[in-house]
Amino acid sequence: MLIELSGVSKIYNQGKANEVRALSDIDLEVEQGSMVCLKGPSGSGKSTLLAIIGCIFPPTSGRAAIAGRQLARLPDRFLTLHRRETIGFIFQRFNILPELTVLDNITLPLLPLGVPPRERRQRAQQLLERFAISHRARFPAGQISGGELQRVAIARALINNQPIILADEPTAHLDTALSREFMEIMQQLKAAGKTIVIASHDPLVFEHSAIDRTVTIKDGRIHVP
Amino acid sequence: MAQKKLEKQLNILDYALSSLWRRRMKSLSLLLVFAAVIFLLASFQLVTQALSDKAKQVLAYTPEITLQKMSVGRQEAIPLAYRERLGGIFGIRRVVPRIWGYYFDEVRLANYTVMGMEVGEMPEGARLDTALASGAMPGPGPEEQGKVVIGQSIKKALALEGRTTFSLFRPDLSLKAFEVSGEFSRDTDILTNDLMVMNLAEARDLFALPAGMVTDLCVYVANPKEIDTIARKISEALPAVRVLTRPQIQKTYQVVFGWRSGFGSICLLAALAAFVILAWDKASGLSPEERREIAILKVLGWETSDILAVRFWESVLVSGLACILGMTAAYIHVVYFAASLFRPVLMGWSVLRPELYLVPRLEAGDILLILAFTVIPYLAATVIPAWRSATVPADSALGG
Ligand SMILES: Nc1ncnc2c1ncn2[C@@H]1O[C@H](COP(=O)(O)OP(=O)(O)O)[C@@H](O)[C@H]1O
Ligand SMILES: [Mg+2]
Repeated sequence: MLIELSGVSKIYNQGKANEVRALSDIDLEVEQGSMVCLKGPSGSGKSTLLAIIGCIFPPTSGRAAIAGRQLARLPDRFLTLHRRETIGFIFQRFNILPELTVLDNITLPLLPLGVPPRERRQRAQQLLERFAISHRARFPAGQISGGELQRVAIARALINNQPIILADEPTAHLDTALSREFMEIMQQLKAAGKTIVIASHDPLVFEHSAIDRTVTIKDGRIHVP
Repeated sequence: MAQKKLEKQLNILDYALSSLWRRRMKSLSLLLVFAAVIFLLASFQLVTQALSDKAKQVLAYTPEITLQKMSVGRQEAIPLAYRERLGGIFGIRRVVPRIWGYYFDEVRLANYTVMGMEVGEMPEGARLDTALASGAMPGPGPEEQGKVVIGQSIKKALALEGRTTFSLFRPDLSLKAFEVSGEFSRDTDILTNDLMVMNLAEARDLFALPAGMVTDLCVYVANPKEIDTIARKISEALPAVRVLTRPQIQKTYQVVFGWRSGFGSICLLAALAAFVILAWDKASGLSPEERREIAILKVLGWETSDILAVRFWESVLVSGLACILGMTAAYIHVVYFAASLFRPVLMGWSVLRPELYLVPRLEAGDILLILAFTVIPYLAATVIPAWRSATVPADSALGG
């Protein structure tokens, strides 16, 4: 199993007045090469679960093993090192830095890896060509269309050839056509062997044929109908 | 591994440069204010250094006791005959007449320091002959008429270009011809830069002093411990004469350099200014955009230390460039514009010398001092708040 969670809970601000229990007793297994959708209303804990799978923080209790590593045992720094080798993130609204060029946005994950500029450009160029946006490489990301932006965000999640792609409500701000395009690209990536977890309550996502499994979350628990 | 670390720092430096460029208006204003602070500090340091160098050199050639005649509070010529009245004072080794004055060349708009003396009569250390680059000091006698030794900036002002002769106006506007018989070396520029040495008769002729008159009498004593006693005896013998001892002159210089300690408070002010700049920079630093940028970078695999390194490089680039700019501007200001911005502050100095010829010298120690007061607090204080910003949680980049 590439992703293995058992009995995972997450409590924000534990022991303080603003303590929030975001996840309780989550068991989840995701096989390599599969595509899973996390479904649930706003505030149910989808982003928190993605953050744990994405090695942003370890669970408060329970066991989480991502690509063979137990998160609870890893200090913060190693969590980061593990994350950049393993996880490609696609955010809601894509979180592209608008003043940077498309090329610079895509290669951001490579800077702390010490990848020299030539190699960065080459790797980005391949992805830009694959997504038909090479002509936008030198454009500030703030000046390109929504569809191009989406492809830039996906390219950035692939730049270090990470095996797991996590997407947090990727279609929340897209029209139907772009949402469809997004899922088509995800389908291609799955075919290429990537493991994909998408948090979304958009039917265009969870009803898509490429989704192997939909997991419903309610109040921080997996809901079994 | 080491290769990768270097590549990583280069990448981070690259990112720091591009983010300075992205906020170029802010970066530029920061750079300018910082450079201005360093400019002021470095100018001040250069000027005080040049002045104290000069003062030291001048003092080295100052006789132990100098006699000047005063009338209604001003200096006037002193008769050579006063020498005889000092004969009875025990401990005086030698009394040498000297004409020391300032000549304003209206043709070339330059000030020269003119010294007329009989080199042979001066004691060993006060002859200035060791400062010669070429030629010889003018001797006494009439065959030395017009012979003069000049310093480098005078040579430049006169635009001699191979010639050895030039003329200056006497007070009655008649021309007096000179012939250069020697040049002072560049090594003693601090002292000899604007200096013109001729024999007594020639200086008297140039300034149209009456025969038998000089501007001061230099008294050399046998035992430096007796300077005060001898000075008192001279005062008693010659009541209308101002008696300046070397320790007194030294004290005057020290008073003038009292504002050297003022330099300390200026340093503190500058440091304060640096902090204000920084506070302004950092207070406006953690905008929502910046928080967002940091969170994104962290999710994308940047470590907290990488983000701190970006801030560090930004600060190093800004303050380093500000240092180079500020110090270069200060050097140009002091050397080519004669510290004209500080003229009002330096006017006090003109009591001692009417014109300033500064030969600045910026020592490694001074540079370090300036750095210590500006760049280091700036760096420290930029990286510390950056710590706070680098601890923005990564999950804030995720959707709520
Ligand atoms: N950083 C945080 N600090 C405190 N509480 C948080 C934080 N992030 C999320 N929460 C809380 O945890 C719960 C789950 O949030 P989240 O995982 O964002 O849900 P979803 O993505 O499904 O909308 C919510 O009640 C939310 O308010
Ligand atoms: Mg969410």
